[in-house]
Amino acid sequence: MPWTTVLIIVPLLGALSMFALPEGGALQARIHAVVASLITLVLSFELLRRFDRDAGGLQLVDSHDWASSVGLRWTTGVDGISIWLVLLTTLLFFIAIAYSAFAWCDRPRAYLGLLLLAEAALIGLFVAGDLVLFYVFWEAMLIPFIFLVGLWGDENRRSATIQFVIYTMVGSLIMLVAVVATGILAQRHTGGAYTFTIADLAGVDFTERESTWLFAGFALAFAIKLPLFPFHAWLPKVYSAAPILVTALLAAVMSKAGVYGLLRVGVPTFPVGADNLTPVLLTLAVLGIIYGSLVAWRAETMRLVVGYSSLAHLGFIVLGIMAFDLQAGQGAVLQMVNHGLVVAATFGIVAMLARTGSEQMDRVSGLGAGAPWLGGVFLIVAMAALAIPGSNAFVGEFFILAGVFREHTWAAILACIGMVYAAVYMLRLYQDMMNGPRVGDGRKAEFRLPDALAILPIVLLMGLIALWPQSIVGGTRESVKRAIEPARAVAHPPAGVGEVPLP
Amino acid sequence: MTASVLGWLVLGLPLLGALVLSLWPSEPPQTVTRVIGCGSMLLAFILTLATWGTLLGENPEERTHVSSLWRWIEIGDLRVDLAIRIDQLSVLMMLVITGVGFLIHLYSTEYMAHDVGYRRFFAQMNFFVFSMLLLVEAGNFVFLIIGWALVGLASYLLIGFYDDRPSAVAAARKAFVINVIGDVGLVFAAFILLAKTGTLDFDQVFASAPKTLDGYAAEAVALLLFVGAAAKSAQVPLHTWLPDAMEGPTPVSALIHAATMVTAGVYLIVRCNVLYELAPSASNVVAIVGAITLLLAATIATVQVDIKRVLAWSTVSQIGYMIMGAGLHAYSSSMFHFLTHAFFKALLFLGAGIVIHALLGEQSLDRMGGLGKHLRGVMLMMAIGCMAIAGVPGLSGFFSKDAILAHAWSAGALGKCLWVVGIVAAALTAFYMFRLFFRTFMGPDREGGYEHLHMPGWAMTVPVAILTVGAAIVGWIEIPGVWDAMTTWLDPVVAGGPLGPAEVTHSAEWITGIASTLVAAGGIVVAWQIFGRDPKRRLELAGVARGPRSVLRDAYRFDDIFEGTVIEPTKQIGEVFLTKVEPRGAQGLVDGASSLVRVISGVISRLEGGLVRGYTAAMVGGVVVLGLIATVLLRAN
Repeated sequence: MPWTTVLIIVPLLGALSMFALPEGGALQARIHAVVASLITLVLSFELLRRFDRDAGGLQLVDSHDWASSVGLRWTTGVDGISIWLVLLTTLLFFIAIAYSAFAWCDRPRAYLGLLLLAEAALIGLFVAGDLVLFYVFWEAMLIPFIFLVGLWGDENRRSATIQFVIYTMVGSLIMLVAVVATGILAQRHTGGAYTFTIADLAGVDFTERESTWLFAGFALAFAIKLPLFPFHAWLPKVYSAAPILVTALLAAVMSKAGVYGLLRVGVPTFPVGADNLTPVLLTLAVLGIIYGSLVAWRAETMRLVVGYSSLAHLGFIVLGIMAFDLQAGQGAVLQMVNHGLVVAATFGIVAMLARTGSEQMDRVSGLGAGAPWLGGVFLIVAMAALAIPGSNAFVGEFFILAGVFREHTWAAILACIGMVYAAVYMLRLYQDMMNGPRVGDGRKAEFRLPDALAILPIVLLMGLIALWPQSIVGGTRESVKRAIEPARAVAHPPAGVGEVPLP
Repeated sequence: MTASVLGWLVLGLPLLGALVLSLWPSEPPQTVTRVIGCGSMLLAFILTLATWGTLLGENPEERTHVSSLWRWIEIGDLRVDLAIRIDQLSVLMMLVITGVGFLIHLYSTEYMAHDVGYRRFFAQMNFFVFSMLLLVEAGNFVFLIIGWALVGLASYLLIGFYDDRPSAVAAARKAFVINVIGDVGLVFAAFILLAKTGTLDFDQVFASAPKTLDGYAAEAVALLLFVGAAAKSAQVPLHTWLPDAMEGPTPVSALIHAATMVTAGVYLIVRCNVLYELAPSASNVVAIVGAITLLLAATIATVQVDIKRVLAWSTVSQIGYMIMGAGLHAYSSSMFHFLTHAFFKALLFLGAGIVIHALLGEQSLDRMGGLGKHLRGVMLMMAIGCMAIAGVPGLSGFFSKDAILAHAWSAGALGKCLWVVGIVAAALTAFYMFRLFFRTFMGPDREGGYEHLHMPGWAMTVPVAILTVGAAIVGWIEIPGVWDAMTTWLDPVVAGGPLGPAEVTHSAEWITGIASTLVAAGGIVVAWQIFGRDPKRRLELAGVARGPRSVLRDAYRFDDIFEGTVIEPTKQIGEVFLTKVEPRGAQGLVDGASSLVRVISGVISRLEGGLVRGYTAAMVGGVVVLGLIATVLLRAN
């Protein structure tokens, strides 16, 4: 069975089935959506079961000729990097869809259908083994999100959507040019047929000039999507205007598209360019960590505290990828999963807190007295968000910085400012809401059954990763090695290889 | 059972207690909480005694037991196990943590009985003990760091226990953030070790360090570890959180902020003594910072009015002794002082707690006086505690403090300077402790007298009595010229470095003993003259040296300095980013593309008028059709 293709098709069919429903078929729409996302989730676990943790390269590949004259192939598969992102996507989308279906949903047919479309596109992006396919899904992913923000957002949704569209369009166009240029230049170098298969492109010997420009093109597109400082201007508006569940998915899953692209396409295909631009990306990542942390500390709504903290956390992941160090790279993959889980749980809690009437930081306080269970879970999540040693996020951050420290000590030292300020802004969020004089009714925010069913599985997974990070990291080794080895060889030319062996 | 199995059980019991208490669906009856909270501690203590017994039955060189539960991570070339290490040093720490910990839990059953959040208190206390045990039992740097951070979390939770009080919330936040600074120091020390030795396991790191760490790397590691130690153990300039931490309930101050957690820095240095042996300059820095802290804190303690703050500054000061000793490579002496300090400082805090409890929460020395008549037993026990910390010969503090000072005397010119600081601080210690004692227990009753003193029951009295016995006699395990049980016990884990502790001569011991006895007596006599003999004298002297005393009362204004140089400026930078840079950055882009914006905005508003179904279909259909066309066209080519 072509597992990876099926995984895209199931949610897509779920979305299309919405059209078959009568105008008022809210109940059927809910059932369709939940069933489709549940099947996808189960299939993704089957994918994991069949996945060989010790192998590198794409597995469970499904490859078909698409348009051979220009080298297009439908190639899908998973490796030790994408499998985890696929699982993250299927899990979080299942939770989001089930929660929307049972707890809240306006115009459910369209809403749930768009969510399923977004899920299909994201899975497609993560399993794409062909650069054109990658680009198609990259574009496809935007459309449902644009509609979700533009139609279900708050009163500022229009300007937020516009900004989102402008930014992502700019990024997409640059990427389109880069994709086409890559294909043409690669054909010129190899002299053979056109190919867009990512694995084959990695072997092409681009000139330094080409490699740098192409990497820059892709990196710019990824940086906007991440977002990486200073390309984050769309983030506060979109995160604030979108329904919170969509914001959670944007931060938890869609932001991974950028870092994933860097590790899947940018670094392995253009090692020379990646090495040339490392200082730029490291600098932006570090600036983003510091900038994001300071702004998160002062942000006025709960949502933006989490949003800007996300800017900082993604900076850490970029550092880990651009260190070209196996530990840092594996840590970065783990951190993609961690950040997805933690940020989803945090937004879930913000949504619960917002039931007291406002997302403003200064409207309520002392809610912990009325909501003891929320207080306990919020504490755990906040601690994970600030990456306290003992949490899942610490594992990723620790090994990212360990590798960055070896390769670019200055970046690691500056990034530690972000570690300290993470404590400052997360404690501000936690304490200002939960402790202090009692203003607002904490009981409104307390866990109800749907909240518990949505958030507790995520928290339990965070605990599992904290206790046994090997469960994820163990499967990433060979794939990360393949992705960063060429760039590492460029960064440490042969004469130095003996001194700095790949750990 | 083997020592490692016992070690795991000791670690697991408080965790189990914390989990059961936290997950109990509603507030359980106080009896249930008591049984779970104290029971887990008592069992853990008994099993720790058994562990100790097992080790005693073994050859001194073979008392190290490493045991791992599972492979935690394998990343790059590094393998890290969830591993514990039981040896002489960890067992010593475990004995204090579970032993003193149990007594303080027992005490709390009564002290906290009137507070809301009884269950929460014991759950968090058990969680603290688990974290502290993880810290001292950890078999590698990763789990040391995890335990290190989790004790910080437990400390944060318990400082902020009264979570509707803004001062408690702020104190908790401050403690947490300063501890994170320490964590960062520790993490970066681990990065250097990992880069140089390729491992984070204690045995492997310590075995390869002499070969792989060159001079600068060793110094850097030692200094970074000390950043962690200084944050946790409240050493200048990272000490400012500890006095504020007194916002927590008194048993918390006794357990976490006196007996156990704040000495973790000392444990860290002693555990990593192999690294400090390679770093002479860093060791000197450690010793000097310890001495500075010792003196500053002792001076501050002389003017504090809040009874718990006197004790808090006293703790900062006493840890200064331990840190100074560790910097002088006198590791066993530091651990010895840790042991005696755990007894007498826990005793002093719990005794002060009885007084506070009796006065229904009153903590100001100005609102005390003459309590000896009403609380005779407590007064006697506190007297022994004060004498022990002041260094009265025969009691525990005398032996352990002198052990460190004798090492200082023998350690060259720098050592002599540190010795002088230590002796001066000893005089101040005797003075401020007896100031506290006289102002609390002697003289006439406070104005208005005492109505309804809340008398302590057995659960509060018995632990204090046991600690009193300990504070009196624990020092006898190491008497110069007679025997040295502590040094012998720890010898296999701390000996063998190239620097090592200085050779202590008998003359150094005599000189130190006599000097410290004299200054202790002097301090007590001065305190008696001012505060004991005639209570009016204190008021007559109230106008003397107002300026310096107000500086001392504000603790040399460290808080203001940090507020002005770090916190406010970065806060303002954040504000500027948020209010100036953020909107303009986005706006600039939108202005630049304003025409595009208008076009798209028109499209969107038109779309919004239509049916959702319509354009969802259009979108999906468009993608499908485009794909089909592309496929067909390209195939045809």
